[in-house]
Amino acid sequence: MTSLAEHSPPRTDQASRVARRRLIGLFGNQQILLLLVLIAMIGFFTIRNPIFFSVDVFGNILLDWGPVVLIAVGETFVVVSGGIDLSVGANVGLSGVLAAFVMRDLTTAHHGQTLTLIVGTLIAIAAGTGIGLINAVLINYARIVPFIATLATLGAAGGMSIVLTGGAPIGGGPANAITLSVPKFGPFSWPGIAVVALVIVLGLFMHKARFGRYTFAIGSNTFAARGAGINVRRHITKVYALSGLLAGLAGMYLYLRLGSGAPTSGAGGELDAIAAVVIGGASLTGGVGRLSGTVLGALILTTVTSGLIIIGVAPNWKQVVVALLIATAVFVQGLRTSGRSTA
Amino acid sequence: MTATAPLYEVRNISKNYGSVVALEDVSLALHAGEVIGLVGDNGAGKSTLVKALSGVHQPSTGSILLDGEERRWKSPHDAIEAGIETLYQDSGLAPHLSVSANVFLGREITKPGLLGRMGFLSQKVMDAQAHADLERVGIAVPASRKSVAQLSGGQRQAVAIGRAVAWARKVIILDEPTNHLGARQAGEVLQVIKAAREKGLGVIFISHTLPHVLQVTDRIVVLRLGKVVRDAPTSEFDADSLLGTITGLIESPR
Amino acid sequence: MVHLRISGSPALRRGVVVLACTALGLSLAACSSTKSSTTAGAGGAGKSLTIAFVMGAEADPFFKAMKVGADAEAKAKGVNLIWQGDPSQYSPATQIPIVDQVMAQKPSGLVLIPTDPDALQPSVAKATALKIPVVNVDTHVTDLSNVLSFITGDNADGGAKAADAMAKAIGYASGQSYQVVVGLTSATATTNVARLEGFQSEIASKYPGIQIVDKAYSQSQAATANTNVSNWLTKYPKLNGIFAIDGTNATGAAAALQAKGLVGKVALIGYDAYPTNVDLMTKGVFTALIAQNPAAEAKLAIDDLVAKLTGASTAGIQPKVTIPNVVLNKDTSAADLKAYTYVS
Repeated sequence: MTSLAEHSPPRTDQASRVARRRLIGLFGNQQILLLLVLIAMIGFFTIRNPIFFSVDVFGNILLDWGPVVLIAVGETFVVVSGGIDLSVGANVGLSGVLAAFVMRDLTTAHHGQTLTLIVGTLIAIAAGTGIGLINAVLINYARIVPFIATLATLGAAGGMSIVLTGGAPIGGGPANAITLSVPKFGPFSWPGIAVVALVIVLGLFMHKARFGRYTFAIGSNTFAARGAGINVRRHITKVYALSGLLAGLAGMYLYLRLGSGAPTSGAGGELDAIAAVVIGGASLTGGVGRLSGTVLGALILTTVTSGLIIIGVAPNWKQVVVALLIATAVFVQGLRTSGRSTA
Repeated sequence: MTATAPLYEVRNISKNYGSVVALEDVSLALHAGEVIGLVGDNGAGKSTLVKALSGVHQPSTGSILLDGEERRWKSPHDAIEAGIETLYQDSGLAPHLSVSANVFLGREITKPGLLGRMGFLSQKVMDAQAHADLERVGIAVPASRKSVAQLSGGQRQAVAIGRAVAWARKVIILDEPTNHLGARQAGEVLQVIKAAREKGLGVIFISHTLPHVLQVTDRIVVLRLGKVVRDAPTSEFDADSLLGTITGLIESPR
Repeated sequence: MVHLRISGSPALRRGVVVLACTALGLSLAACSSTKSSTTAGAGGAGKSLTIAFVMGAEADPFFKAMKVGADAEAKAKGVNLIWQGDPSQYSPATQIPIVDQVMAQKPSGLVLIPTDPDALQPSVAKATALKIPVVNVDTHVTDLSNVLSFITGDNADGGAKAADAMAKAIGYASGQSYQVVVGLTSATATTNVARLEGFQSEIASKYPGIQIVDKAYSQSQAATANTNVSNWLTKYPKLNGIFAIDGTNATGAAAALQAKGLVGKVALIGYDAYPTNVDLMTKGVFTALIAQNPAAEAKLAIDDLVAKLTGASTAGIQPKVTIPNVVLNKDTSAADLKAYTYVS
């Protein structure tokens, strides 16, 4: 039987097409591009102030990176599935505050520090996952678009944190909380190592396992995914629950870092997360993204923050630098997409 | 052929969307090794019937029988499990996924052991098998790892049909498979349909392109305004009478 | 008034409340009763007074503490209190509509904490036209001619006191040089500006050896404040002291000092007596905390309006009253600590 496939195109513009594709291939590999940007930034900051190139500063950067990458990884799953989660920042605050209340009560009742921290972590995870599940219910069953559904939970969770705390941070938990987030192995602290391990595992689930495959399929073509027998609702529920869970962990991470649960912790974090996701090369229309890109995107964001402080530039310049990075990332993505459709 | 019991059958099904009646008292019987053409004007109820047959929607009333046994599809997954494959019009593939990921979508092969139970995929096995499956159906496609977005319209349709034929165990439902295809590619699709019939599958072929329907089907079912207005062997139709029946210019003997 | 109390009630129940409220999609106002509340007049005359109190941002413990003072005084004087303000944003854009809405309820008097000196000026004019007397607390509108009284904590004085506390903490000796940094929330918030000016002028006049080597803005984020201070501690190995200009900066700076093991080595002067900060001060993380007295400000504002509205003696009403900030340190008595700690 003959082939249904189309055969090779006419050879006339083959050469120019190959050259163009090679160029796109080079700049289209977002991870390599991001790595180059990161190295260039480290070089720039080091030249301006050599103290930047130190274990201490990398420790500061990684400390910042932890919560950002946690919510950005969750956001990557959501964005690849074709959705968006605006509630992650507020979720970080509320999860951290709820964990802080419980840990304060346990500490007041003279429970051990380890037990208290474990219970606090579980509470943060439960609260974060709970908010994620509420998002899923609003999206799957109330049929509210993700942008509006998660905007609603953003407001509700943010408001709740303030109502519960009266605006003040909640301390009085385990005394060793802050010392846990001190770098132990070069620039890595225990929570930092836990984050790295978790991100690697999630990367494998995204790119090597069925969970990620379904996430990409739904974001690429929901109808096709449903037609192929994938339970789309159930999978979307899992994706938002995962995003919420990671926000809960980020809330606990910030608790360890500040020694208290502050209601405004994480406020605006959704913007950092979305920035990291977009810089990392994911498409907000779904179906496209790589977790390694998001990880590098988050690292670039936090490197800029610390770098600007070290070289003595007002940190508000960060927004300008981030805006440039986002514009560049979207431009590169457009280049790749147009390259593909004409290929 | 009609002596044997039907393979797939719907009896007196109706479907309402609120007060709108999309299907009214529709019955249809498909036998193994038979190709039925399902035709009708826009809004005649073809899509609704396809959705009922493939498990996307449940009919409001009436029953669905597979191998003489009454079934209720709760989801497309149920129907697929039972051996019914559907190729949806224009939207059967996930463009960002590779050819093999699309062929295996929803039934991925996992690694052996614990990793497999955690959902880790055997990508190499799937790549090789996707290629073999598509070739067996009679479709040569580019590398399994290529993303579907990089394929031409014809290649995409080839993958979609190949996938449906490769997986179908009993019934295959093709919704406008020759849409947007050139004459040569459409001819190849019709060849694939004939091959599926020879394999003993029941085929439901939905199309607006009447010459294709006349060329490849054994029987034609004409829908108009949600009702079956004619169900007869293809030999009883010619191009004019078929068109007349669809538009209602010819009153059907029923 | 139903008040969600923080201490005592089990945290898990709070979690359930949160999730239930969120799940039901109730608005913040429905879950919280703090946004708008009235205290029924107890001993008032036949017609009791209603005083509207429009503050900056509900989220700020400073205003929470102010509400405690306002509630108590309203009850004592038998006036109805309408307490209003944006849940979290300190912004004229959200405050102006709130003032309009409150004015529609025809209060007898208005206490206004303008979030912008010029943007809220028309609101004062409107109240004057309706013959509603206005008192400003904490911040003020540009033209005070129609404002009965302006009552504030002295933030410039607080900044100067912080400089004195800093000099004492780092063992200032003339002829030596010292490095300090200042963590701010924003470049425009009037309290931040006044505190910084007070701090800087006190240093310039009394401690010329102290050099402010860096400043940064945390945008009300403790984590951002923490990042700033962590990096400063790396950048300036000889850093002598940190002035954290408000509660969030204080929280972030305290965590950074603890994480780097520099408690006691780098002096930390904080602002705002949040319970967590007071607790950390008793543990020596903060060398000193500067506290305001928002409850006293609220009390005086209500007293002034009641005096004016009941036609009692208005002789005691001053056009401008400054309630001094206090320095809390390890020598402060437990009773004073308790009195100045912001309760919520």
